[in-house]
Amino acid sequence: MQNEAEDASVSPIRERNVLLLDLSKSMLAPLPDPQGGGPDRQKIEVARTAVFRILQDAAADGTLFGMVTFTETVRVPVPLGEIHRENLPYIENLISLLVPSGRSAIWDALGVGADLLRMGTNGVQGNLVLVTDGWDNASTRFEVRTDPKTKASGGQVDLIPYVLPTHSRVTLRIIGIGSGDERDKGVDTVRMNQLVGQLTQRAQELGLPPAFSFQLVTTGTQLFAQMVNAFLDVGYEDDRPIEELHPEELARHAANAARALKEPQQHATVSRIKSAQAAGRATTPATYSELAEIEVDFLASGPGAPPAYLKERYGPLGEVVEAYLAGQLDRALELIHRTQGFLPAVTRLYWEARIQYARRAVVEAARALLQAWTEAEKLPAATQAPILRRLAVLQARMQNDKETETLVRVIDETEHHLLNRDPKTRDRLMDLFAKLMELRGTYQLTRLAGEGDLQDAAIKHEAAVEEVFGLLQDARLDLASEGATVEGALDFIEICLAEMR
Amino acid sequence: MPEVKVTTRRKTTGKREPKPSVDATRIAVVGIPASGKTTYFRFLSGHFGLNLPILYIPSRADNGSLPLYGDLENDVALEETTYETTDPTDPEGSLETTTRYYVNRPMEDRRKLWVELSAGRNEQGILTKYPLPTKFNQFVEMKMRFRYAAPGGEAGSRPMELSTVDEAGGIIADYFTYDRMWLDSVDGEVTERICRVIPHFDSWRPDRRDLWKRGLTLLGRFVCEADAIILLLSPGLSSLRDQAQQVNLARGVFRYTHSRNLPLVIAVSKADKLKEFYSEVEQSVRERTFRSTFDSVDFLLRRDGAGMGTILVAQEGRGISTKEDVFLISSAVSTGEGHPLFIGESGDEAPSSGVETMGVPVMVNTTLPLARACERILERRATKGV
Repeated sequence: MQNEAEDASVSPIRERNVLLLDLSKSMLAPLPDPQGGGPDRQKIEVARTAVFRILQDAAADGTLFGMVTFTETVRVPVPLGEIHRENLPYIENLISLLVPSGRSAIWDALGVGADLLRMGTNGVQGNLVLVTDGWDNASTRFEVRTDPKTKASGGQVDLIPYVLPTHSRVTLRIIGIGSGDERDKGVDTVRMNQLVGQLTQRAQELGLPPAFSFQLVTTGTQLFAQMVNAFLDVGYEDDRPIEELHPEELARHAANAARALKEPQQHATVSRIKSAQAAGRATTPATYSELAEIEVDFLASGPGAPPAYLKERYGPLGEVVEAYLAGQLDRALELIHRTQGFLPAVTRLYWEARIQYARRAVVEAARALLQAWTEAEKLPAATQAPILRRLAVLQARMQNDKETETLVRVIDETEHHLLNRDPKTRDRLMDLFAKLMELRGTYQLTRLAGEGDLQDAAIKHEAAVEEVFGLLQDARLDLASEGATVEGALDFIEICLAEMR
Repeated sequence: MPEVKVTTRRKTTGKREPKPSVDATRIAVVGIPASGKTTYFRFLSGHFGLNLPILYIPSRADNGSLPLYGDLENDVALEETTYETTDPTDPEGSLETTTRYYVNRPMEDRRKLWVELSAGRNEQGILTKYPLPTKFNQFVEMKMRFRYAAPGGEAGSRPMELSTVDEAGGIIADYFTYDRMWLDSVDGEVTERICRVIPHFDSWRPDRRDLWKRGLTLLGRFVCEADAIILLLSPGLSSLRDQAQQVNLARGVFRYTHSRNLPLVIAVSKADKLKEFYSEVEQSVRERTFRSTFDSVDFLLRRDGAGMGTILVAQEGRGISTKEDVFLISSAVSTGEGHPLFIGESGDEAPSSGVETMGVPVMVNTTLPLARACERILERRATKGV
């Protein structure tokens, strides 16, 4: 037991997620999109969009991910495992080639999904997400009995205990497409509710927490929103990744950033970042869990081609960004206005501000950004910090405040680069950044204090610097082999500390 | 220029033999690379050997008399020992040592002192900088012997030793900056693991890592035995990384001296680079009647003379007094146009070009930090009854 506890502390248990995707012929049918105002999109197209996004997240945060597709046959195109970023293009190509046909073996797919998550005597451990638009009409191995007490018919296995054996910790989220009003029949709501009910009852019998849900969606927008609730940002054309900087350039950046810490009156935006840090850490990676948290993603944008699969990965928001990067600002503005009602308000307002700023409509941009700040304040602490930083970068750009922009960008890039690393490493660095921000207060006192209090303020500031420097040294020793991003962040903090004198 | 004698010997083990026991009080001089450690030692030894004059700014009421003397019992004013790794891949880690002895002798042309000791490194001859194939495979231990007598003391003067590890400003800066490396005994050793507190240490060449580790251990043992520290700070550093390195070193030295209750004296070297200070120097040389009342403390704290006003304010009364323990010095004043500033026999500025004239380089306040360090050592001993 002791060994297991030690192991757990060294290597935290990662999330295990399996997506079950219906590829029956009915997935080719269109879903209406009255709110979006755009053309109807096929169910499979919308579902693929969400899968792209989920894969992207899995690659970023290091969770284990697997995918099961089903017609009358169940297949495992992506076995459960860690998704490496370099493998993403191959997997995405594979998914883009999946063509719906035939019928639906939903129960068999759930059985295979459970098998992927099975961990010996510990039962089934992980999360299942089922996306389907139909009825089970092709399963041969499993069945969901109307009356759980009845015996098996035709040798089929009862799905409920198979998916939920003792000692399991499994969640199931069912996203059902269509209400039956469309040309195709739509999801079998009764049977799905029955499945959820039986699983809940079984969980209660075993003393396990019930974590099963069924959600019905009837439009493409709803389906996308069910699976993707995102804040997306892309870099600016003149951005240079921090790790590409020459050491002297990094030093100049750090010195610039330190000015944002030393002169709060001229860099008021920084105080918003500080409040975000104080509100809570944004270091828990977003996954497709049942929490309605906004997923935050940032894509670097170089002088070359725009990021691939923008539309496929991010749906309507991806289209907006694609138009923006192509310089079609009027179209981008039109598209972002259409997203009202399903994109998170902070995302929509941020992009409106960004597009307006690119169109040199400064007043409109400022108005939208102000509203975005207000919306961001309403967000839960877990997602607030990275969004506030992206708003701060845009605001700094609009105000030509290079110091604040540099400071925020370094923190933001560091966190982004560390998304798929050990959360302890990420937390430690973000803590150091937070403590660096807190030094603004003690430094300011040395500037404001009167003659008599000056020494007291200076002593307090130096003691605070010393404390952060001690933490920095320990981080250097403990994270010595963590690579260029960690080293760069520590160098940056060290130079900032030296500047605050 | 003092006569130079060179001896070479080879050691076959990685560990340096213990320093010969000298019944002297030891003062360690520390500073980042190019902070003026070499110049400080060379000119001070020139002062003791050749009785070179020193200018004081602000002017001193006691006509500049300090109880510092050359060590007449010892022919050697300055001793420099170069430790060089002959083969970085040698598992035994052999070190070759070369010792140079600077002996007190009058020289023919006093101007040469400036030309040879403080010109740009490219212009310097073999006598002034070490014939280094690379800076990464050697360091130099410098020892200057002199005597100090407590003012009014009846016991006469006592031997003192000023030491540094030269060509090792980077090692010094790292050692003091990162307190996780500090040694508590002369037998201690800075390990490879703890060296990783230095940024990017793992990415260095193996021979450089090895030399750094040795240098840090040597330095750690060396400062363990120090009775006081003189911190040299260089003003007006153009590189932001150098500025950061110096600030981190300064903060580290403050931590070190606090934790060990060691006397600390700060010398802002190359002070002639600071415009306001240079104009005082220039006026003092041109007008013999001029009595400088330059307010060093005000300049350092409020006009950012050392670039670390807040840090100095925080340390006031906590081991140092900014009024008594911080000095602006210049061991070799430059006119700022690539020319040295000379004082002629009359005490006025001597022309630096045209017909060859006699003149000696102008040194400003150079002995003050040393005298203050000696004074504080004796004060501490008196308090502690050592």
